[in-house]
Amino acid sequence: MLKIHLFHVTGTHCPSCKILIEDILQEQNLIDQVTVDLKNETIAVVTKNEQDTNELMQSLGALIKPNGYSLSLEKLAVENKNNDIIWQALPIGLAFLVLFFLLQKSGVLNFGIGGTATPTTSFVIGLVASVSSCLAIVGGLILSISAKISQDNISDKKTIVLFHFGRLAGFAILGGLLGLLGEIIGINFTVSAILGLLASLVMILLGLNLVGILSKNKVTLPAGIFKFFRRIEHQTFAPLLVGLGTFFLPCGFTQSMQIAALSSGSFITGSLIMFSFALGTFPVLAMLSFGSASLAHSKFAPLFFKTAGVVVIGLGTFALLGGLTGLGIIRPLFNI
Amino acid sequence: MVAIVIGGIILLSGNSNRNSMGSDGKNVEIRDGVQYITIDARGGYSPNVSTAKAGIPSKLIVSTNGTYDCSAALVIRSANYQEVLPPTGQTEIDIGTPKAGEPLRGTCGMGMYNFVVNFD
Repeated sequence: MLKIHLFHVTGTHCPSCKILIEDILQEQNLIDQVTVDLKNETIAVVTKNEQDTNELMQSLGALIKPNGYSLSLEKLAVENKNNDIIWQALPIGLAFLVLFFLLQKSGVLNFGIGGTATPTTSFVIGLVASVSSCLAIVGGLILSISAKISQDNISDKKTIVLFHFGRLAGFAILGGLLGLLGEIIGINFTVSAILGLLASLVMILLGLNLVGILSKNKVTLPAGIFKFFRRIEHQTFAPLLVGLGTFFLPCGFTQSMQIAALSSGSFITGSLIMFSFALGTFPVLAMLSFGSASLAHSKFAPLFFKTAGVVVIGLGTFALLGGLTGLGIIRPLFNI
Repeated sequence: MVAIVIGGIILLSGNSNRNSMGSDGKNVEIRDGVQYITIDARGGYSPNVSTAKAGIPSKLIVSTNGTYDCSAALVIRSANYQEVLPPTGQTEIDIGTPKAGEPLRGTCGMGMYNFVVNFD
């Protein structure tokens, strides 16, 4: 005797939530069929036997609660809940930003690193760079993209691994080429500044999207960039390319190391210098990306996305203003 | 939470005084008719604001000491200068003969550090 029950669900923040919920509930013996309707935020459950709707809601609700979803018979006023979350996310995000800028201000990172660049010093410089102001661009970009793909895509871990592989391999290869060919692939300030501006615009847009100001239905609005990211993020090539592309993003440390690789005059030395540098930046960047992926699948997901959005908007604005200053378009607004 | 934010803002604004201290001319020197203005680059530029004389052929000396951060990626638009400085050393940049009231502005590649030399 089949019976259909209809529940309202909250916490479905991503397309993959449908798959996740259906997978979890389908495993139950008494359930014949589960259909999640993301648009209306409802779950239709077909049970094999007669079941009390309330009891069923309790038992099924308990199963998906660890993933941050909850069931109800009546549609909840979700608007209020979202507003509450942004008021939690805003202070947390701002606190992160303040801590980040305090760290830059403190001068802790400004100890001199003497001698010539060896793989060891490059690694240390990479460690420093990964918490320096370069984090505003590279880290902010990684955080925004990781959070975004976690929101949209269930295979985010694979994408993140590919990104890091692209970055490490790209630094090794391009560093080697710098050593071998010298000025031919020379580092152009203006090109890297323009890339930096693009990266900061992407960050701000993704940040607004994560916070929920640009809601999912409206992401087609800033067409070009968003479409690009939405289309390519599922492929293998894109994360590799973005990882490699971080080589050209503006970062004083990266540029200093590129000069060191360039003046080494050998493929192997140049490659080792850039690879060690990228390896030094890896722990922090890995924490940011894999951290977002695991937070994105926890029950803190809604808070995490909004907090990440606040942080990313802040870093993106900082990078944007800095980039415009570096290009001489605006007068310096700050001196951190 | 609010306390942290306010504390941060106070610290930020308090600290910025350290960097924005103007020079008292100690970093400007005239030798053999050429004016040398020395700026230290590491974790920012110091002094942040310098004052030098106009109408004298001048050179900027940017001094690095284990500098790998953004301040090594120096951009001076008015002198058409964009280079990554050596990690340690002194880089001499010809800035011609400055005119009064036309300050020289330098910034790092990412734009978060800057300095200015006023000429009078």
